[in-house]
Amino acid sequence: MTVQTPGPAAEKVAGRTRTPSPPPGRHRKSQVSAGALPYLLLLPALAITAILLGWPLVKNVILSFQQLGMKELIQHLTVWNGVDNYTDVLGGEDFWRVTLRTMIFTAVNVALIMLFGTLIGLLLARLGRKMRLTLLMALVLAWAMPIIAATTVYQWLFAERYGVVNWVLDKLGWHSMADYSWTSSQFSTFFVITVMLVWTSIPFVAINLYAATTTIAKELYEAASLDGAGGWRTFSSVTLPFIKPFLFVTTFLEIIWIFKAFPHVYAINGGGPDRLTETLPVYAFVEGVGNQHYGMGAAISVLTILVLLGMTSYYIRMVLKQEREDS
Amino acid sequence: MKRSLFGRFWPNATALVLFALFLFPVYWMFATSFKPRGDILSDDPVWFPVDPTFEHYRTAFDADNFWNFWQNSLTVTLLAVGCSLLIALFASFAIARMRFRGRTGVILLFMFAQMAPWEVMVISVYMLVRDADMLNSLVPLTLFYTVMVLPLTILTLRTYVAAVPKDLEEAAMVDGATRTQAFRKVIFPLLAPGLMATSLFGFITAWNEFALVLVVNKEAEAQTLPLWLSQFQTNFGDDWGATMAAASLFSLPILLLFLYLQRKVTAGLTAGAVKG
Amino acid sequence: MKRTAVAVLAAAGLVASLAACGSDDSDDGDGAGKGAGSYEGETLTFWAMDGSTPDDWLKDVKAEFEKKTGATLEYKVQQWNGIQQKLTTALSEESPPDVVEVGNTQTPAYAATGGLSDLTELKEEIGTEWTESLNESSIYEGKQYAAPWFFANRVVMYNKSIFKEAGVTEIPQTRDDLFAAFDKIEKNTDAEPVYMPGQNWYFFDGLLIGQDAELVKKDGDAWVSNLSDPKVGAAMEIYKQYADYSTAPKDKDEATPQQGEVFGKGKTGAIIGMGWESGIAVEASKDKDFEKEIGYFTIPGDTADTPESVFLGGSNLAIAAGSDKQELAQEFLKIVLSDKHEGALAAANGVIPNKDSLLSKLEGNEAAEAAAPAAAVGGTTPLIPEWGAVENTPNPIKSYMTAFLNGDSHEEAAASVEDDLNERLSQE
Repeated sequence: MTVQTPGPAAEKVAGRTRTPSPPPGRHRKSQVSAGALPYLLLLPALAITAILLGWPLVKNVILSFQQLGMKELIQHLTVWNGVDNYTDVLGGEDFWRVTLRTMIFTAVNVALIMLFGTLIGLLLARLGRKMRLTLLMALVLAWAMPIIAATTVYQWLFAERYGVVNWVLDKLGWHSMADYSWTSSQFSTFFVITVMLVWTSIPFVAINLYAATTTIAKELYEAASLDGAGGWRTFSSVTLPFIKPFLFVTTFLEIIWIFKAFPHVYAINGGGPDRLTETLPVYAFVEGVGNQHYGMGAAISVLTILVLLGMTSYYIRMVLKQEREDS
Repeated sequence: MKRSLFGRFWPNATALVLFALFLFPVYWMFATSFKPRGDILSDDPVWFPVDPTFEHYRTAFDADNFWNFWQNSLTVTLLAVGCSLLIALFASFAIARMRFRGRTGVILLFMFAQMAPWEVMVISVYMLVRDADMLNSLVPLTLFYTVMVLPLTILTLRTYVAAVPKDLEEAAMVDGATRTQAFRKVIFPLLAPGLMATSLFGFITAWNEFALVLVVNKEAEAQTLPLWLSQFQTNFGDDWGATMAAASLFSLPILLLFLYLQRKVTAGLTAGAVKG
Repeated sequence: MKRTAVAVLAAAGLVASLAACGSDDSDDGDGAGKGAGSYEGETLTFWAMDGSTPDDWLKDVKAEFEKKTGATLEYKVQQWNGIQQKLTTALSEESPPDVVEVGNTQTPAYAATGGLSDLTELKEEIGTEWTESLNESSIYEGKQYAAPWFFANRVVMYNKSIFKEAGVTEIPQTRDDLFAAFDKIEKNTDAEPVYMPGQNWYFFDGLLIGQDAELVKKDGDAWVSNLSDPKVGAAMEIYKQYADYSTAPKDKDEATPQQGEVFGKGKTGAIIGMGWESGIAVEASKDKDFEKEIGYFTIPGDTADTPESVFLGGSNLAIAAGSDKQELAQEFLKIVLSDKHEGALAAANGVIPNKDSLLSKLEGNEAAEAAAPAAAVGGTTPLIPEWGAVENTPNPIKSYMTAFLNGDSHEEAAASVEDDLNERLSQE
């Protein structure tokens, strides 16, 4: 379960604790002269990705230049309409509003997840064995909860009548919350979605961060405390350098995951009320599939992909740079 | 020294609160599923199923095609995860162990692939499957799920492959083993926890997939559990007992799998890193 | 050497993995070939919506159909949620369902897509007696694209003991009577007078019809929103009076949660719903005799002579143009729409049948008897193909209702959704 990226951390560790620099000769050579082999090994992965992902992507771009409604879909008609779909989408206010909303939504969620995930990860490292296993179990269960089930459970927790959240708030003295409808406003809907997303996402960050800290050699801490470093100094000079690449990659993944989060947002309130909680993927779905305006939906999904690429371009560049350094 | 700074109390207390917060939704799902109707819709929550009932589970089991959904979900998920692990194993060996022209490009490609928002492309996928005359079949589902989980599987697995010390492999070969034997006897056991860890992501993704199967397979015979769960929710509206029973049944395999693999994987992870 | 070994391994793995991925079975074999003359061995697929077909009725229809044609009837219940996308994609497929139930408000949109077969001849054969107003939605550009099946309108379904406990002894005859009854329930009992969520849009549509309000108007060639018309606001004002008696969520419709379930808990004085919703209520109730608690009356209007106008919901049956069993499907329609089965369905479900001569079947069904007087002042949503897109989730009219109930003025609420509404109306 863990993982996903013991990655850079583990690699860094490997790089550091292994012999200072790779000895020349056989070792190195066997890595370099691979010939056709790597391509052969990569062939299945590349082929299946190219066909089954590339093909729908291309099809999607093609559809985005068509007028594709109920009639065209049923009769298998191809009606080109040039860039109409794009001018419609980009010309309206909705798309820009949704894009901005999606970015803010992603930023807030990722910030919360990374902050609390890191803190809980560090807490795990500090706990005794028994306590750690206990907390780990809860985290693992929250993480493993299938999202379709989680949305159902959250709807029940936040149900207007008999929902346990409203009951607790009422008992805590906030009586106006006794029959509160969480899906009635933009903010409260986003609140529920965020709680759910943060809940399901933190375990991944926390557990991996904990795993990363276990790779830090004890001697480093001892050395630090011999130097008279305090808690914060130890953290910033010993722990942080180790977990930094890890945090970096995890943030990247979380941005992608939160941005793409579709069932989470859609299941709670269908993008409502009044379409105010639609994020880009939901917007694309509602306009395309929901309104049976499939060409328009395709155009929005193409734009959605471009926005995601834009948001992650910085990260991709950094990861690539790191990749080159490592190799 | 450092530890005494905060003492044991605050970390433990925080951990307990977090434990409760993270576990509660899961607990509440199971608890609700065992409670009689009256206890579910009571003005003050009933915290424990003091008067447990299997009524809701009976409702869930009685649903049409119940076992069929299970069979389909298991088949598709296991096949997709198996296929993607196999394919990813080759690919990650190439990426982690070999230098070749275009390596960075390949990594980049899988990063992009990992970003693909499948839900917004369902209509394209649908039209392709329809035009290939493969609707209402598990084959396209398996293939697409394989591709959905493949990029992350590769990106994750390669770090495990990289963490297996090359010296071990070489030592085995010096002892007279062929490269295949070395792989089977030395590398594979070391890699096993990594494979398990990686497979969990695939499991979750494939087990949960909803949007694609919804448009591609209209026949109940070829549908999977997420559709069953959502249908169940529509049919039973705010019958939270039945809905929670269904959600519990749906979650159980994944929860058990995670719990079972958790320690092996964490162990494997740290061991791998330390040995490296 | 080593390299070849790995290469072989890799190649073998590639083959194995692809083979494994592709080898999974689950075929989708379709029916056998046509038998000459008879339909022996063929299978007719019939999609009906959840709740449309009672079990006994279906058994009879199936038996008669299979006996007469020798074919097999495969019946598939469809959920309302997401049905439009499902139907659209299904109609585009090579083997679509042969016969489908289509809501009357959706029929023009599907007729315009070319996905439904022309049934003009069938209508001449079996449909001369069909009630004209009920057949309107099936006609598009002069041709018949579906056959009217059954119709229904809403009634007030009330809890007899709550009304009694509140001291309401007479059935309300006017809207004012009804609100007076609600006041009494509010004062004298701890029940909610009426459960009225903010988005019971088909009830609102009835109020619109009562106010002569039109939701769309012609602007040159195109249909555009007429939502800002003060008549719409007047209808919404009446709706708000109902909703003010309820603590139901303002942003939900009557199906989430099912208002029948809420009513079944016995703490709600009344709901405005379809007769069949009492079944949900009885099932949700813990009280086995709850059925006896339920009474029905016509939704009262301004005066005692005319009841409140209602939305005449209903369903048509259509044959998919892509079906290769056109004849067999017509045979099926002839059986389903025969007086025997059409009458039986009306009696069993308490729905209005497609011809007046069968109305007598409703006698003795309280809900249907309460519904019948209002059918005369019933109407539908605008019967234009463009309307289909409007009702796709999120329906802008529902958003308008929620906005109004949350305190926006009629003008503000209408303005907030008109762009969306116009966009949907202009969509092809």
